[in-house]
Amino acid sequence: MAINFKSLTYIYDEGMPYAHKALDDINLSLIEGKITAIIGQTGSGKSTLVEHLNALLLPSFGSLEILDRTIVAKQKNTGLKALRKEVGLVFQFSEYQLFEETILKDVAFGPKNYGASEQEAIQKAKEALKLVGIEEKYYDISPLDVSGGQKRRIAIAGILALEPKILVLDEPTAGLDPKGASEMINIFINLNKQKNTTIIIVSHDNEMVYNFADNTVLMDHGKVIFNGLTLDLFNNKELSDKYNLLKPKIVLFKELLTKNGFKIDPNIRTIEELSKYLAKEINKK
Amino acid sequence: MNGIVFGKYLPLNSPIHKVDPRAKIIALFILIASIFVPKSWWCYLFLGIIIFSVVLISKIKISMILKALKPTTFMLLFLLIINCLTIKTGEIWFYIFSYPIYKTAILNTLFIVVRILLMIMITTTLTATTKPLDLTLGIESLLSPLKIIHFPYHEIAMMISIALRFIPTIIEETMRIMNSQKSRGVDFEEGKLREKINAILSLIIPLFTVAFQRAFELADAMEARGYVPDKERTRYHQLIFTFKDLMFVIGSLVILGLMIASRFYL
Amino acid sequence: MCYSNTFSKVVYNRIVMSFIEVKDLCFSYVEDNLVLDNLSFNIEKGTYTCIIGHNGSGKSTLAKLIAGLLEAKSGSIKIDGLEVNATNIHSIRSKLGIVFQNPDNQFIGSTVRDDIAFGLENKQIKREEMDDIINKYAKEVGVLDFLDKEPTALSGGQKQRVAIAGVLAMNPEIIIFDEATSMLDPKGKSDIKKLMSLLSDTKKYTIISITHDIEEVLLSDNCLVLNKGKVYAYSKAKDVFNNAEELRKIDLDIPFSLKVKEAFNKQHIKLKSNDLEGMAKELWQLTSNH
Repeated sequence: MAINFKSLTYIYDEGMPYAHKALDDINLSLIEGKITAIIGQTGSGKSTLVEHLNALLLPSFGSLEILDRTIVAKQKNTGLKALRKEVGLVFQFSEYQLFEETILKDVAFGPKNYGASEQEAIQKAKEALKLVGIEEKYYDISPLDVSGGQKRRIAIAGILALEPKILVLDEPTAGLDPKGASEMINIFINLNKQKNTTIIIVSHDNEMVYNFADNTVLMDHGKVIFNGLTLDLFNNKELSDKYNLLKPKIVLFKELLTKNGFKIDPNIRTIEELSKYLAKEINKK
Repeated sequence: MNGIVFGKYLPLNSPIHKVDPRAKIIALFILIASIFVPKSWWCYLFLGIIIFSVVLISKIKISMILKALKPTTFMLLFLLIINCLTIKTGEIWFYIFSYPIYKTAILNTLFIVVRILLMIMITTTLTATTKPLDLTLGIESLLSPLKIIHFPYHEIAMMISIALRFIPTIIEETMRIMNSQKSRGVDFEEGKLREKINAILSLIIPLFTVAFQRAFELADAMEARGYVPDKERTRYHQLIFTFKDLMFVIGSLVILGLMIASRFYL
Repeated sequence: MCYSNTFSKVVYNRIVMSFIEVKDLCFSYVEDNLVLDNLSFNIEKGTYTCIIGHNGSGKSTLAKLIAGLLEAKSGSIKIDGLEVNATNIHSIRSKLGIVFQNPDNQFIGSTVRDDIAFGLENKQIKREEMDDIINKYAKEVGVLDFLDKEPTALSGGQKQRVAIAGVLAMNPEIIIFDEATSMLDPKGKSDIKKLMSLLSDTKKYTIISITHDIEEVLLSDNCLVLNKGKVYAYSKAKDVFNNAEELRKIDLDIPFSLKVKEAFNKQHIKLKSNDLEGMAKELWQLTSNH
């Protein structure tokens, strides 16, 4: 199963003098069950792309196939609310969506909107809060009285409580400290492993993308430039130079080593792997 | 958002755009006063021609004036019906299903329609030709004599200009929060009353939280840059009242004078 | 704790009179929960100091206290010999500017030009002098081309540059960057960091940067590590990572180059260089020596 964008174009303020084409004839296939990162400069169309996934935006032209349904431009599309349950979208600075009196109630808000009974909703909220590592002692506190990193996790729990098949996150680690960011990423990796949830992350943080995304989509000016294995993208010097990709430091270091004469295994991802690999090389001689 | 034209600034280049905002605000009040003075239709024709020419000089499209007028149609229609039902003096003009319609009823309504049309033309011209910031500066400057009675005119002007500055930011934020809540299954369009209330709460509460947070941070930023509300400040934007602006005000005074005179001579 | 003492004492004893002196500073938002706990340190004039520590370590609170936006519970902060308190606040603020985290919430004017002018108006600079000042600093930070743009037309990085121009125009001696790059995209981040480095190189300003960006520390002169409201370490920036384990204990990251060094150390390869290029060369030499 895959998510398929077919000749999809999106134009903001269509028909207005200041209309702006944000997505330009996108043909893209995202594999389910994987962690996919979407990268590109500010204004490249990343956020516009993901807002199509749960039909917050509808295509101006073309179509989108997602979870046995097809959204076609200029047609009456029904059942969008149901789609939004299966495709959970977490916005940038999602902590701003919190509004209920207690953390537990806030997370239960989503399931209730989809007709879950009070009890069911609370049960789902508790499970979701557990997934993001919010302890029970916080349940009855106002979501506005906890730290920024915790708020972000509660907001994500609010979407996880819907038990989405596909989880889409726009810059989930922006503004978090390094520890908070890595904890956040581990939540997604676990979800992917344990529940086989498809994870799609929009990010500027190429270090993070390199470390854990299976696949990466590179966007530029509303077009898809690359869609494939993350390692292949960053190992492709020509492409990453052309689009000014901010290279992860490990890639830069690998390039420096290659320049000095080393032959480096392209599958090496971490410093640990690299140091072991080079130690072997050095001791061989 | 694009439907609203009333109060929108049009970044054009016309002689009216260049008039000092204070002169425009004063002229606005004088002209609105003149609209309510005369009784003769000739006077309205005269006022109409003058105001219409000002609109033309400001390069505002007539369609924009019509759009600004649209929200008032319902009110005017209502007024027409009330007038037809209540005014029963003078000559009967015609019958609708044997219900007599009096000439005065129609004429009275028409009077009001013309007055409102002229008023909207004047205010639209003011807002379309004056940058919101200049308008604020103009209001501040005109209110400044009130400092003798300790009226906080400067603080009020500062509040208005900051509000204007943050309108686009808050609109953007509203959109984002709406999308976030839609992703949690909130339906802003349909649903029962209880669901609707919940939907609105889920938008309003975060919006207020964010707005307050912004306000606090903004206050810190202003304070850190040396802003003290009641302290004297110099001004980067300075309004200069020229002879041309004076003539603009005198022109509108002449019109008011003519209208008053018409009450005696026509 | 011994770690913190050795570092702070070195810097402490050498200095007779410092530009910024923080002594026994305590602060709490709610009773019995000290955000800053008996904090003491000095900062010399013209230096670039990074303050690091994880969220909740009291970094941003410290910045606000120095700028007089919050009032200390006990202890004192002196800037150029002048104590930060209600009486001196205006003279203190004229020496100091802050660039905050959120680019939107510090953009006060309706255009770039108006925003830079805002501080000048408060300072009662004459109207005739304003344009020159605005142009000068807009050019310095690279926003001269969009002086008449509105904030919605600017990127986060551009807005932060405007904020910096607004601060520079006030002619401050101290500039505090309060996580000024944390909300920006990579390009914005690197632009602002470059600008900060340039400002530091002029030696005109004493720069304090509150940051999560461990790589930024390598650009600065000194680094103060805060943990639970206390000074955990304070030293030359290049020395602060000498004891990486101590930093990891309080959940702080270390720069990439050090991680590389550590990893090779584990493989019994000792690298001397501190930069990646040097390390790559060293490694290659090791292969050819055999």
